[in-house]
Amino acid sequence: MNSWRQRIRPEQIRELSLVGLIVIALLVFGWQIENFLSARTFNRITTSVAIVGMVAIGQTLVVLTRNIDLSVGSIVGFTAYFVGAQLAANPTMPPAAAVALAVLVGGAMGLFNGVIVAYGRVPAIITTLGTLAIYRMLLINYANARTITVDSLPSWVVELSRQTLLTIGDFAVRPLFAITIIAVIVFQFVLGYTIFGRRLYAIGSNPEAARFAGLPVQQTVLAAFVLCGMLAGLAGFLFLSRFGNITAVAGQGIELESVAAVVVGGVNTFGGSGTVFGALLGAFLIDLLGQGLLRWLGISEFWRDALLGLLILLAVASDSVILGWLRRLWAAPAVRVEAGNER
Amino acid sequence: MKVTNRFSLLTIGLILVMLLVACGSQPQTTAPTSAPAPTSVPAPTSAPAPTSAPTGAVVSATPGLDIDMILLPKFLGIAVFDQAYEGAKEAHAELGNKGDLIFTGPTAENSVAGQIETLTNAATQGVKAVMLSNNAGDQIAAAAQAAQAAGVKVVTWDSPIPSAQGESVFVAQVDFTETGRVMADMALAILGPAGGEFAILSASPDAANQNAWIAAMKQVLTEPKYANLKLVDTVYGNDQSEESYNQALALVDKYPNLKLIMAPTTVGIAAAAKAMTDEGLCDKVKVSGLGLPSEMVSYTLSGCAPQFALWSFKDLGYLTYYLAYGLATGQLQGVEGERFNAGRMGTYTIEKDPTRPNGLRVLMGPFTVYTAENVNE
Amino acid sequence: MNAKLRRLLSWEGLLLAILLVVATLNTNLAPAYLSLNNQINLFQLSIEKIMVALVMTFIIINGEIDLSVASIMGLAACVVAVLFEQGVPLVAAIVVALLAGLLCGAFNGFWVAYVGLPSLAVTLAGMIGFRGIARILIEDRSIGGFPAWFTTLGQQPLLGPFPFSLLLFGSLFALAFVILHYSGVGRLVYVVGHNAAVARYSGVDVPRLKLGLFCASGLIAALAGVLLAARLGAVRGNTADGFELDIITMVLLGGVSIFGGAGTLGGVGLSILLILNLRNGMSLMNVTGNVQTGVVGMLLILSVLLPNLAHVARDRWQRRAMQRKEVQASIETSASS
Repeated sequence: MNSWRQRIRPEQIRELSLVGLIVIALLVFGWQIENFLSARTFNRITTSVAIVGMVAIGQTLVVLTRNIDLSVGSIVGFTAYFVGAQLAANPTMPPAAAVALAVLVGGAMGLFNGVIVAYGRVPAIITTLGTLAIYRMLLINYANARTITVDSLPSWVVELSRQTLLTIGDFAVRPLFAITIIAVIVFQFVLGYTIFGRRLYAIGSNPEAARFAGLPVQQTVLAAFVLCGMLAGLAGFLFLSRFGNITAVAGQGIELESVAAVVVGGVNTFGGSGTVFGALLGAFLIDLLGQGLLRWLGISEFWRDALLGLLILLAVASDSVILGWLRRLWAAPAVRVEAGNER
Repeated sequence: MKVTNRFSLLTIGLILVMLLVACGSQPQTTAPTSAPAPTSVPAPTSAPAPTSAPTGAVVSATPGLDIDMILLPKFLGIAVFDQAYEGAKEAHAELGNKGDLIFTGPTAENSVAGQIETLTNAATQGVKAVMLSNNAGDQIAAAAQAAQAAGVKVVTWDSPIPSAQGESVFVAQVDFTETGRVMADMALAILGPAGGEFAILSASPDAANQNAWIAAMKQVLTEPKYANLKLVDTVYGNDQSEESYNQALALVDKYPNLKLIMAPTTVGIAAAAKAMTDEGLCDKVKVSGLGLPSEMVSYTLSGCAPQFALWSFKDLGYLTYYLAYGLATGQLQGVEGERFNAGRMGTYTIEKDPTRPNGLRVLMGPFTVYTAENVNE
Repeated sequence: MNAKLRRLLSWEGLLLAILLVVATLNTNLAPAYLSLNNQINLFQLSIEKIMVALVMTFIIINGEIDLSVASIMGLAACVVAVLFEQGVPLVAAIVVALLAGLLCGAFNGFWVAYVGLPSLAVTLAGMIGFRGIARILIEDRSIGGFPAWFTTLGQQPLLGPFPFSLLLFGSLFALAFVILHYSGVGRLVYVVGHNAAVARYSGVDVPRLKLGLFCASGLIAALAGVLLAARLGAVRGNTADGFELDIITMVLLGGVSIFGGAGTLGGVGLSILLILNLRNGMSLMNVTGNVQTGVVGMLLILSVLLPNLAHVARDRWQRRAMQRKEVQASIETSASS
């Protein structure tokens, strides 16, 4: 009778509470803002969430291992600029090569982070706080105050963000969003069903135990950072395609946005629990709140940040309250069964 | 445990090498340890009466003196500031200044504190003039006054110190009231006499020059000629492409009858034009404001941003350098009515700044309004 | 215990040695560096950040983090300015601003200590939200024109060549040092940071301690914000924007463990001196802001990385020496038998 309780644990359905919060936010905004519940809003949010969502996948991998990557904003900015400059110089570069270049550059930066964290045994926050500044410095020196402009890019790059893959009614699926969704599905699978994925959880839950159990802790942490860098590099390419005009300050602040998405998405900052799908929902919820507040006629420009901060806190708090409630709900019958057995 | 000490010594050695490399790779400027060139006059503590500056005489600065000068932009990595540096370098070479022209700036996220730090340290270094595009508003006034007291001339360009405290003279790229009128005129030209709703997408709520231009524009809009132009909102994109892009789309969603987005910032106008183009909204919502031709050319040709305006940042840097050089060498006093020669740009006059009580300015001008006809030049 | 102490000492020794190197380089490359004026400027330009770094040391040793400090600084500055503009006497405005900071800290502390949310999440929300409240108060304005005593306090020397803020920082440092290293509360900060669960089972009121620390963080940040307003003489919505990462960098370079339970104020004091002198020297040599931040970033990484590598190399070397000895011994035994 209670078998479903044994099969599904509250942690596995915690994404449901996020979905609930998203629905509540949609209802409130829909009630207050004219035309908010429309395909247009869906298209806006999906396109805008694609970039930070991509970064949040990588951030999740790293946070699961009880680390953090604060350098992702600089990686996104650097790859966007670097690939943009290369495309401007060689407009005939095939699209696959451009994407590969972005992933490679991002991966190299992630490799640097990972080697220092995993093999140099430097805490991740120190390493990536350092590389946040170092990668930005490299970008500013490389860019030399030139701006990558839309005109200098081959047209396929700029048009990528304008195209529509398929439409369902007025709901359009843009390539940027599709790429991010594919990445989320792939990494959700990797985390759930591969040895590598399970190792990330094991290491984050208890690094000491993982080491004693003979898991390759260093290689796994390194891999998480490399993947995070590669995903940030890919996000840099998406950034280039969406915004076209890239300056040396591009991508600033994405590190905290991705951390916020991960935290709101229920990934434990002490490692060991959380999912990529949750992080995407977290990014989606934050973006929804931001976009909703932007469009709310009654909300002045100056009130936006105060409300956004409050709503993010409420999201994190209610998620935690709901999870605690679910846990109790699960625990209660178990206690009763145990008590029954003893008798 | 002695081994540990030996290893930490090794570590120190390595870091030392690293630091040397890091410092060595920077363009080093030797601070002037000796007395300044004989011809330079110590800065007067009190400005002479305006009459002592002969209104007719045009001061042509003596070239070849030896003074160090700093060109301090809001932050590094933005094209227009580097264009200003190009102009300043040109003037530096023309005047044969034996000192250094230093182009340094803070990071974007540390702009206010960084500008204050550079200004404070300029006095310590013995630099004679700082040319400042102020991003700190009045927060920099105390540091500027301290620098002036230590003998540093503070010349602002692009963005002034609002209270004018601690500032010698402001080189205004254009008249700030005129900026408001130019923006209103562009809006009128794009929307036509029937007018319609439009919104402003500015840089940050703390950008003094943008705020002044917006205020001037609102003033101009009260005239009957612009009666049909309805300003519905002012939003901020913080000079970041991403934020500006999202703000532009939100404006369109928020105001279904919006016909124009006016962005008095080069980052904002390009992001707004890209957003309208991406969403296929160009027929409905036009974009205008202040933009760089190189970034706007395709949008202007496509009709998305039919008109926008800007001035030459290279000329601005060039003119600022001539003024700062004259002030720092004591050949200009920095008083109202003084006239000076600015090389290839001709003669300019120091005048009262009508937009800031107590402020002095040199007005550069004019605006270039770009349309499909001249944007390619 | 003894080994740990020695490790800490060697960390501080390392910082001190780098500081000496930096000071030597600065003296040789920037003639104005040693002047008293510059030495005081060097502190004054970052005085508010280093004040907050003191209390951040407690928070991080306690195993938490506070990303909202810069926003609380900005909020306190805006509260002072807006109330003053409304005609409230400045002293009363300052008291309200400090209370506002305390309240922000208590707000953070409540969610972290009593609800059990991660401090990273709570203070990230606070960082956005408190800055947002400041923005509501001041909108796009700039408020200045404070009475002369206030700006003089922030800008002019008070005692000899020392301005008020620097004297205050000195006293705060001494106070913090005594509390952290010589009081029961200080010991609790370490115990909780080392293992909160163990602390709870041994009867420590962990939530109260955490709430107290976040309140202190809010209060000191507000004080720093008010002093910043006095030093700059004008307040805008972006006052103190982005200071949080600089403050955290100072604490981490001081050898404080991000996982809590380890670190000293002596280390943080040295790290503050090191960063300020390094930045000042580079600034006097006209190194751009981005390169300055990059060099500090490299220093942050290398200061942990190089000792670690040295340890690894030493371990390897010792192990190899041991193996050699074993081999030798086995040869000898086999030869003798």
